[in-house]
Amino acid sequence: MNAIDKTKPAEEKRSRYSAGVMEYRKMGYWQPDYEPKDTDVIAVFRITPQDGVDEIEASAAVAGESSTATWTVVWTDRLTACDKYRAKCYRVDPVPNSPGSWFAYIAYDLDLFEPGSIANLSASIIGNVFGFKPLKALRLEDMRLPVAYVKTFDGPATGIVVERERLDKFGRPLLGATVKPKLGLSGRNYGRVVYEALKGGLDFTKDDENINSQPFMHWRERFLYCMEAVNKAQASTGEIKGTYLNVTAATMEDMYERADFAKSLGSSIIMIDLVIGYTAIQSMAKWARRNDMILHLHRAGHSTYTRQKSHGVSFRVITKWMRLAGVDHIHAGTVVGKLEGDPHTTKGYYDLCREDFVPQNLAHGIFFDQPWASTRKLMPVASGGIHAGQMHQLIDLLGEDVVLQFGGGTIGHPMGIQAGATANRVALEAMILARNEGRDLLGEGPEILKAAARHCLPLKQALETWKDVTFNYSSTDTPDFVPQATAAE
Amino acid sequence: MDAVIDDPNIVPDAKAPVPGAIDLRAEFSSSGLAEVFDQLDRELVGLVPVKQRLREIGALLLVDSARKRFGLEAVSPTLHMSFTGNPGTGKTTVALRMAEILHRLGYVRKGHLVTVTRDDLVGQYIGHTAPKTKEILKKAMGGVLFIDEAYYLYRPENERDYGQEAIEILLQVMENQRDDLVVILAGYADRMERFFTANPGFRSRVAHHVDFPDYSAGELDAIGGRILETMNYRMDAGAQEAFRRYIDLRMLQPHFANGRSIRNALDRARLRQANRLFNAERPVTADDLVTLTAEDVLASRVFSGGIDSYPPLHPSN
Amino acid sequence: MRLTQGAFSFLPDLTDEQIGKQVQYCIDNGWAVNIEFTDDPHPRNTYWELWGQPMFDVRDAAGVMFELNECRKTYKGRHYIRVSAFDSTHTWESLRLSFITDRPEEEPGFALERQEVDGRSIRYTTRAYAANRPEGARY
Repeated sequence: MNAIDKTKPAEEKRSRYSAGVMEYRKMGYWQPDYEPKDTDVIAVFRITPQDGVDEIEASAAVAGESSTATWTVVWTDRLTACDKYRAKCYRVDPVPNSPGSWFAYIAYDLDLFEPGSIANLSASIIGNVFGFKPLKALRLEDMRLPVAYVKTFDGPATGIVVERERLDKFGRPLLGATVKPKLGLSGRNYGRVVYEALKGGLDFTKDDENINSQPFMHWRERFLYCMEAVNKAQASTGEIKGTYLNVTAATMEDMYERADFAKSLGSSIIMIDLVIGYTAIQSMAKWARRNDMILHLHRAGHSTYTRQKSHGVSFRVITKWMRLAGVDHIHAGTVVGKLEGDPHTTKGYYDLCREDFVPQNLAHGIFFDQPWASTRKLMPVASGGIHAGQMHQLIDLLGEDVVLQFGGGTIGHPMGIQAGATANRVALEAMILARNEGRDLLGEGPEILKAAARHCLPLKQALETWKDVTFNYSSTDTPDFVPQATAAE
Repeated sequence: MDAVIDDPNIVPDAKAPVPGAIDLRAEFSSSGLAEVFDQLDRELVGLVPVKQRLREIGALLLVDSARKRFGLEAVSPTLHMSFTGNPGTGKTTVALRMAEILHRLGYVRKGHLVTVTRDDLVGQYIGHTAPKTKEILKKAMGGVLFIDEAYYLYRPENERDYGQEAIEILLQVMENQRDDLVVILAGYADRMERFFTANPGFRSRVAHHVDFPDYSAGELDAIGGRILETMNYRMDAGAQEAFRRYIDLRMLQPHFANGRSIRNALDRARLRQANRLFNAERPVTADDLVTLTAEDVLASRVFSGGIDSYPPLHPSN
Repeated sequence: MRLTQGAFSFLPDLTDEQIGKQVQYCIDNGWAVNIEFTDDPHPRNTYWELWGQPMFDVRDAAGVMFELNECRKTYKGRHYIRVSAFDSTHTWESLRLSFITDRPEEEPGFALERQEVDGRSIRYTTRAYAANRPEGARY
């Protein structure tokens, strides 16, 4: 690089701590020779400095503002082992094909963080620094969470393996549907949708993110009718069924009350929204762990800060935080559906949910090797604008440890909800059977579906109804390291 | 069970479309059979009649599968075999190649070889035999089951011998699951003949009999040469001459086991060579380390009328 | 009714050829294949009876089909039979696939019993009609 690299970190004590304003890089936040320790938390930020601001100084400032620094020198630094607590920016690379932006790698000592607290971790890493004036924009792209830190969290309350054991469902994706319309149904009508969908062949139904306790349906009504529907569908199929009862509410007390009621009714799963906040999520995860409950997380609100590449927090970081925090399900994209999702980036999220060790893979947006140290696996959920006719693509892209949620694709079936559910289940089973037989899903998928439809009229109707539906738009959040083709067919 | 042997040469092959006419030569080369036979030639000295039988069986199966593709063959052929011959005549090695041939021609799906003897199949108490036999059969399915000294399954002198139970299960599977498993029964020719006479069920289910002749002295010498080569040893002229005399003498003695006896003799010669070099009280060269001399061979008991084996059959010698 | 446990219950009953392909898929993945049977179809009846030991060392589906046919000789038409595959990989160490291969000729299904308790809450019990008869005499 240039002469700046040669600037010695942590200058001689006296001059370093003289009162006044000093460049961050001279305060020890830029240490190009630093080799991160195995126990360091590492963050990589995409930094877009204001015009005229040097990228090294901007990166050092981010390191400073996300750890010990303030805008001026403080003598009280000298009462601490401040060299240890200072975050160290050790590498700054230009973002490929994106002049004016840099990737800054910053290492944080483990002692900067309270064990087992996402609130504390995020307060440091994304607390003040995102509003810092010398930056036009800032994005937290990825984090390397060391094993020593990972082990301070409980991780998913249930995890993929135990969830499958509890549900007695192996070897295929689980099937779900979100009850529609999102708002306005009475409890009694709402339960009807649940019953029809589960009896028709789905494993789960789901409350939508904004179904809480509104004038048209109070939460107790919903819970009571939904559990009648779940139990009735279970008895009519001999198969375990569930419905994600959304316990999101204004206060923790309300959420605990709702969760306790769901448990007393025999529900196997409850649901929360991301907007309740990290602390509430961790509280609910602890509750779920104590009460043998699967905990579904709807990532409501995430796109406000995950979608744009220049500013915010990447969803891969949120995924990591949520696996630590202890939820069991997380919506992680569909690629082919109606919501944002580049295939490679999405693959990266799925790996972070399901693997015990995720190797660095820049093409998937994974900047670091991430060991999970046997933390339970988080079940990804694919939801939003998908239908039976895409089954081969979904299984090829997403694998089998995933919940496929066909809301419109179930309830919108011309012959009714049961028929819609059956169509999805038959398409799914036929595709898994074919995959296991070694057939080429992408090449033969449509044929396999057509063959399965010969003994299943609802599937035939579903394929006919949605044959031309695709959502083929460019993704906004794509990896920087390979030229991108976008989603869908 | 002695072993489950996977052949690294085996590769899964794709199905060809049905042609108007089938070029058997092309089939032969595309099936990779030529390589199998080449490998057999490289691995095994002599055995000309055995190799000839294998080629015949290979040709027959090739023609059978061609016929099947024209819809001319309805039942799957019986492929169970018996390999008869004295110990050390290459039966297991040939069985391994046979499994590969059958796999390449699509007659077995996996092509592994499971080698067993009576003890692997027959239990010690009531109710023990059937699960043991079934366990072995399940492991062998998709491949070839090689039963060495198969006649020990049948013990007419003991009325309550559990071997009979194993035989019944074997016969049933050999008959009903010909697509799933090929059985090779192996052992001394005379005893196999008596076994087949007492168990006509086996005789009728075994389609191919392959007889393994004893090796000639010249062939045994060549086998010895190959063994040494793979171990990176050689004999000087004196040793070679001594070794030829050794073979002539050893062949006339009891418990002669063809290739196996040759291997054992060379192992002992290496032992003596090591001892000789160690006691020589002088630095050794690379040449010393690879060379067997006449004295390494001539120290054998065979030259003084004893039998060269370990442990010694007659310790007094 | 048709019991829909297992991965392929919504498809027409699998042929032996189809079962064999699924079994081979499991074997090729290094999973141990089990054969299990029961005459209690309750969804929480986790432990079906094992037919012999899990098959750890079988190379070819024919070995499993051999045992499945043995199991059928005793139980076909009177019990459910399923094939399941166990994966011993670290962090999984559980089943990877499970599907029903045979079912009783008649499947009478389940009664749902409701016990009204506090407020509007209800305790639910699912009871298989078949389970009213003793084990072994249900189908």
